[in-house]
Amino acid sequence: MGTALLRLQGVVAGYGRGDVLHGVDLTVEEGAVTCLIGPNGAGKSTVLKTVSGLLRPKRGRITLLGRDIGGLSPQAVLSHGVVHVPQERSLFPSMSVWDNVLMGGFVLRDRAVVRRRIEHIADRFPIVANRRHERAGSLSGGEQKIVEIARALMLDPVLVLMDEPSTGLDPRARQLVFHTITEINEGGRTVLLVEQNARSGLAIAHHGAVMESGRVRLEGTGSSLLADPEVARLFLGAAPANRG
Amino acid sequence: MHLLVQAVILGILIGGVYALMASGLTLVFGIMRVINVAQGAMVILGAYLSYTLFSSVGIDPLLSILLIAPVMFALGVGIHRVFIRALRAESGEEMSLLVTWATALAIEGVLSVTYTTNLRSTIPGYAQRSWIILGYRVAEVRVFGFVISVVILSALSLLLARTRFGRSVRATVQNPTSAKLLGVDADRVSALGFGIGISTAAAAGAVFGIIYPFNPGSHYDLISRLLSIVVLGGLGSLGGAVVAALLLGVGESVVAVMISPSWSSFVFFIVLIVILVFRPQGLFGVRERGAL
Repeated sequence: MGTALLRLQGVVAGYGRGDVLHGVDLTVEEGAVTCLIGPNGAGKSTVLKTVSGLLRPKRGRITLLGRDIGGLSPQAVLSHGVVHVPQERSLFPSMSVWDNVLMGGFVLRDRAVVRRRIEHIADRFPIVANRRHERAGSLSGGEQKIVEIARALMLDPVLVLMDEPSTGLDPRARQLVFHTITEINEGGRTVLLVEQNARSGLAIAHHGAVMESGRVRLEGTGSSLLADPEVARLFLGAAPANRG
Repeated sequence: MHLLVQAVILGILIGGVYALMASGLTLVFGIMRVINVAQGAMVILGAYLSYTLFSSVGIDPLLSILLIAPVMFALGVGIHRVFIRALRAESGEEMSLLVTWATALAIEGVLSVTYTTNLRSTIPGYAQRSWIILGYRVAEVRVFGFVISVVILSALSLLLARTRFGRSVRATVQNPTSAKLLGVDADRVSALGFGIGISTAAAAGAVFGIIYPFNPGSHYDLISRLLSIVVLGGLGSLGGAVVAALLLGVGESVVAVMISPSWSSFVFFIVLIVILVFRPQGLFGVRERGAL
């Protein structure tokens, strides 16, 4: 850890004429889980969309290992090894689980590589192998999220952007999703996580950032933000844990 | 009973051709949320191109599909590049109705100037021939038209189910944002999808021109029928469009034979109204995005 993988400097972006991000500065370190928290409308998801190319930044720089990726198309950003798992359900409901995971390697031309990767993923995520022929739309919300994460790994990404993966899941599914995120990070992936469930998000994060009104207001380690009384009052819904 | 069976046979045969015409309409809607109201005009343009190749060069109208389809595919890609792609703003879906309607009127105008508004028919040697099968008369041209439609629709289904391009189309139809995030080039998929939609319309037009007389204004009646078919089948559902086309083809034919030909086209509009009131997503559509 320690090397800056992704860096946003003074990024301004938004929808139509309105800006949502008003100069975001953020650094994501290689090999770490970085968690963005903040109130609704703070611009957390917009950060991910701007990094993945769904939105073009109006101003500022976005670099990945020093190379400028700001304003590239989603396809071009993908080719740099950055994958985005959006907040809303993103599987193709009428396709099988297997075809959905195969779509994760859509930009790969080498069939042997695709086959090797999907076999590896099927070993790693039993749901992909066990439910391969089932329509993705028939899976539960938690199962779909796991398949989405599995699909994101088809490109062997350097950075995984995850937008509120626990939204709408029951506690057990939520726990499984956070466990999976920790596992893929332990496997060497860098993760930029946006999470409404701030306590769970910060608990697995090495680094955290609090966003408000389109800017990063506060940064620190996940544990220091969890212990911060101001963060606890505003975003954790309770007093900070007593760290003695 | 004999008359009824005869009507059902005729209805299935013409339903197959309607399915080919409607497949492009539902495919384009599925990919882009664009209702291409020029689809009927594209069918008529295909009929005129086939008519011209037959009357001036002597090319069989059914074989002429091999020439017309690629040309119309290129025209479709061109229309997408010049007009449809420019409408990607928030109002794009609504504006596309106006743009495609303007395209239909432009095609009608050019055809009227070139061919006049007199009714035309493409009449190859087999146009008047028929077979008697188990006591039922079946026009050869309708069987050929049906077979061609089945072959083209099967090829389209295989393309969508088995190829990389087909996967990108299905993905775009089901979740365009997700498809984009996985590297699908939405512009390319839209342009090729629009081209395919137009070329299937033109192929159906070559068959239509042998079965029915046509003039440049025939597209008004056609687009009404095609819209009824895709709404009944579920906008964006290819399988739904095929089933709906067969149902409405049979319905039209049975009413024409058993009641009166003047009431036959009424079937389409009665069905359209009933489906919009009771099941607006159609037989096979879903309330959100469809699935090919």
